[in-house]
Amino acid sequence: MWESTVSKFAKKTIFYILITSLIIIILTPLYFLVSLSFLSSREAYQFPLPLVPAISSEFKLEKGDKGYILSIYEKKDGEYQTMLDTSNMEKMSRYMKTQLNVDISIEKLENYISKLDQQNEVYFKNYKGLLHNYQTFFAITRDAVPALIRSLQVAGLTILISLSIGGMAGYAFARYIFKGKNALKVSVLFVRVFPAVAIAMPMVIILATIGFYDKPIGLSLVYSVGTIALTIWVTASIFLGIPVELEEAAQVFGATKLRTFINITIPLALPGLAACAMYAFIGAWNETVSAIILTQFNPTFAVVVYQTLLGASAQVNLAAAGGILMALPMVLFTLFIRKYINQMWGGVTA
Amino acid sequence: MANLKLNHITKRFGKNVLAVKDISLEVHDGEFLVLLGPSGCGKTTTLRMIAGLEEITKGRITIDEDDITNLPPWKRNMSMIFQSYAIWPHMTVYQNISYALKLKGMSKKEIDKIVKEVAEMTDISIYLERYPNQLSGGQRQRVAVARAVSVKPRIFLMDEPLSNLDAILRVYMRTELKSIHKKTKATTIFVTHDQSEAMSLADRIVIMKDGEIVQTGTTDEVYHNSKNMFVANFIGAPPTNFTEVTITVKDGKYNLVNPDFKIILKDKIAHRLKDYNNKKMIIGVRPENIMVVDEKDAVMSVKCLLVEPQGSHQVIIFKINDKIAKLVISGGTKIKSGDTFFLNFKQEKILFFDYESHEEI
Repeated sequence: MWESTVSKFAKKTIFYILITSLIIIILTPLYFLVSLSFLSSREAYQFPLPLVPAISSEFKLEKGDKGYILSIYEKKDGEYQTMLDTSNMEKMSRYMKTQLNVDISIEKLENYISKLDQQNEVYFKNYKGLLHNYQTFFAITRDAVPALIRSLQVAGLTILISLSIGGMAGYAFARYIFKGKNALKVSVLFVRVFPAVAIAMPMVIILATIGFYDKPIGLSLVYSVGTIALTIWVTASIFLGIPVELEEAAQVFGATKLRTFINITIPLALPGLAACAMYAFIGAWNETVSAIILTQFNPTFAVVVYQTLLGASAQVNLAAAGGILMALPMVLFTLFIRKYINQMWGGVTA
Repeated sequence: MANLKLNHITKRFGKNVLAVKDISLEVHDGEFLVLLGPSGCGKTTTLRMIAGLEEITKGRITIDEDDITNLPPWKRNMSMIFQSYAIWPHMTVYQNISYALKLKGMSKKEIDKIVKEVAEMTDISIYLERYPNQLSGGQRQRVAVARAVSVKPRIFLMDEPLSNLDAILRVYMRTELKSIHKKTKATTIFVTHDQSEAMSLADRIVIMKDGEIVQTGTTDEVYHNSKNMFVANFIGAPPTNFTEVTITVKDGKYNLVNPDFKIILKDKIAHRLKDYNNKKMIIGVRPENIMVVDEKDAVMSVKCLLVEPQGSHQVIIFKINDKIAKLVISGGTKIKSGDTFFLNFKQEKILFFDYESHEEI
């Protein structure tokens, strides 16, 4: 009796330790991404990386050789560290803004400096602009907002195309018997074996020919090729799980085939359709490689975020802010669609 | 008013499966017709063809002279109760019942009135806002009935609607269906494999086997004048007892002779058997038509093998000509297994079948 209690307790403890470790493994990168997006450039390139972004910074001003010396309080060392020595207030203000994420006006700085006539050092504290990286991200990327809209268009169109074509094909696979059904069902998966990069060039030529190059519709067509295959397989098995009698009953009671499909079949298949929509959305939203090749002047948001990682001006904290901005719509969409995925009707499969 | 006619209906699945073979049938207005047969006999296929859910390979279906052979199900104005009930799980009971009415373009007020009315009739008024998964099997069945009644169909189709219910509920719903039919007076076609269900519900029973109609008639007709051995065996519980006999004629009297007994037939029964002199045939006797009698009135004596008490009556199991036979007598009679007792048959009720064709003579 006592032994079994102990073993039960031990099992439970091990179980929770495992669960906790798993959660930590999953959440750690996410945490650093979020934390990084709030760090100033100076903090972001420190070692070790601060675990928590500072909310405010303490400064010291004193007279120097070239003008005035600005120092920042370093918590881990417990002392002030010299940042720069200049008489140019404009330069000092800009430096604080870009490197330290502190927004302070030139007048205010001059005001502090005027106090140096009476005393040797002036101390002051200023809050950091927490969303500073996000503002900078939109400021330095050429067209982040239009790109965001384009990405939404691409994702929406991909859902529309893959659900309408894949869903109908899935229904046909589930309900009708025809020649070559199994061969066809396997062959739709075949398109997924080609890597996106390999077929990107032919795609550019095809899209350019039909006038869809560098347009959201062109990208969504390319993405749909892959998602349709998956949608067919998922929806076919969902439709198979819906008893035919439910549809037949609707027809006997006066509903045409189309109406039956809309009123009976689709609501019952909603969880599967929602899962497919989510998959299509995430796929289209994240995809970068094809998007880089298939767009030129009208990139998607993923391409814009990718570009912040390139070149001399690349800053890891800006890229993190971009990453968060990119993840946000996906999280929202997933939360929105979650309730449909969970909505399994009792008795549908019975 | 709905008079349904099936003219030489044939249904073929693929190339080799012939599910229904050239069936002709007329269902009269207001009639409760039962299609009865073992599984795979084509009764459900026939019903589905009437509903329009199955294409007809050959033949014509008419309602009141309107040809509906190629009409899609949604234009036939019928209603159906499915074996699985087929009530839509994503709709409340109210929505389930009102869906068909909405499709007919009725106003909200009319719909509400009808839904309340049929819900009252089927005793589900308090469940209208519930979803099907919150209902028991019996309640779901009632929803299916309410939905079928609400549309006031020309023809009511029921595909084994009671087979998913437990025994007590099944008998109860049987009575309910019968009383609903009495109220609505709708032409009804009911499919079942349960002969007692068929006999208790039907105005007329159509017995099917291997895609063909074997016999059509009222409960009494198919029970007492079974057309062949299949019907005699299928209808009634316990089933009819069969035994082989040879006919001999002696002194102008027809005798049925068998290793176990010799029956001298009355003249009015014997005249049917003129062509069977010295031939083998099979007779069928229903369990209640075998009487336990005194030795002087008996045609044979048998040993009781088993007694199955049923309360009001009991089933006695014994052997005729080395084959198990059963008879039914009232519960009061004292016979124990191992007892020897004496039998006679009610001659008027004996069924005669051809030895080769198994058809009634």
